[in-house]
Amino acid sequence: MTAVELIREGLSQKEVAKILEMDRSTVSHYLNGRNLSWNSIEVAEIITKFCPKDFLTLTYALLNDSEKTRVIVKTCSKKSYEASVEESCIGCGLCVDTCLLNAIVLDDLKARIDSDWCNGCNMCRDVCPTDSIKILEVNNGY
Amino acid sequence: MVTNTKEVKGKDICVQRVSPEEKRELAYKDDVCVGCGICAKICPTEAIELGEIGAIERTGVDESKISIDEAKCVLCGMCSSACPVDALDLKLDEKSIKDMAEYPQLIKSAEISDDLCIYCKACETACPRDAITIARILPERSKLVTGEIEIDKDTCISCGICEEMCPADAIEMEHHEPTSSDPTVSSDITVNKDKCVYCLICRKSCPVDAIKAVCRSCSYGDYDLNPEDSETTGSSFIDEEACVNCGWCQEICPVDAATVEKAFEGELILNQEKCEACGACVDICPCNVLSFPEEEFGVQGDKLQADERFCIYCGACENVCPVEAIEVKRTAVKHTPTKSKSWEKQLSELKT
Repeated sequence: MTAVELIREGLSQKEVAKILEMDRSTVSHYLNGRNLSWNSIEVAEIITKFCPKDFLTLTYALLNDSEKTRVIVKTCSKKSYEASVEESCIGCGLCVDTCLLNAIVLDDLKARIDSDWCNGCNMCRDVCPTDSIKILEVNNGY
Repeated sequence: MVTNTKEVKGKDICVQRVSPEEKRELAYKDDVCVGCGICAKICPTEAIELGEIGAIERTGVDESKISIDEAKCVLCGMCSSACPVDALDLKLDEKSIKDMAEYPQLIKSAEISDDLCIYCKACETACPRDAITIARILPERSKLVTGEIEIDKDTCISCGICEEMCPADAIEMEHHEPTSSDPTVSSDITVNKDKCVYCLICRKSCPVDAIKAVCRSCSYGDYDLNPEDSETTGSSFIDEEACVNCGWCQEICPVDAATVEKAFEGELILNQEKCEACGACVDICPCNVLSFPEEEFGVQGDKLQADERFCIYCGACENVCPVEAIEVKRTAVKHTPTKSKSWEKQLSELKT
């Protein structure tokens, strides 16, 4: 499914294979509907419709690879989020260590969240000792 | 999920959080800690608790002065930045936050200028934390005196009076038992001119006037002495870990070679009526600020006295006092600037 999305975004099969660390011919087979288990596609579709946190943690648990998890989750998540950090942030870095999408960095003792990478899992908000993180789903006009 | 691990070595504590992004490590050294409790005050997650420092200090209870709850600690480093004696240190990937510009640091220092220092060792003696070492090289005694001395060995009867009298141990005789082949009591007498100070005591005490000696320092003044030869040289060393920037060295130095900058300003308020003269504050104070002066010779007084020149306003005495007879007010906390509003706020809340 990630491959389909990436192709839709204009990437070549070669590029897709490289990102997902798959054989190029396997990518091609999948995209052309060969060797495909419709059952697994159905499972994958259900997983993408999980709440963002479950989608993310399950994907990470299946792949155990943060780079691939980042690509798959961001490609298959349709919603966008606006994350903000309040002045009460103490810069402990717990959110940085928690974020599976590596969307957070510390900047002068304050967390800075890259909203483009945020998938709204809220795990950073949950670990924040000072309740400084706010994450809002952006209304895309649907 | 990232979780903390805690390691306790003796009374020292180490809390760690390791993630693929970075390794955070908070290290606490109990022997450096003075029990002021500032770490517990500034901790934003209430992970640090000050122990029963009175009991620990006075009865030697075998436990750390603070405890850290690793489940609550988020390794933010505020305790490390605020600790006035650097007993706590947070390291990010092995680099101390005390060396990072984005983290605020308390402005405190102690320095001894080698240009001004005369190596009198007053500071070394006064330092309540034994943090100062003065290594000095004394001038050579022989270069500070000038004179001549000669012993007429033919006249000398080897009585040994000069050897016994010499205050500088400069005269040495080779004593031996007389034999038929050598019926003398000493085979030789020598004067060590590096030790001789030309005091002339040997000459004056010799019963047979065998010693000719003259002190030129007396008759000609200091003309043939080089003033540079009389200088004491050396070097000073402050153990940063032990130093608490109390200011004793600065106050006691006769030549103003020591400079101390303190992080906190404040006021020490003693309530003599409440004080029961238990002495716990005197024992815990890292700066030797407090004392019960003798009322008369040999009788310990019971009136608490403080010399605020040496106080660092850490508040350890206030913590340990069982009857609330001491109040430590902090009116200023000097630290390097930080862009973080929350750090600024937590640091300024150390003011009372």
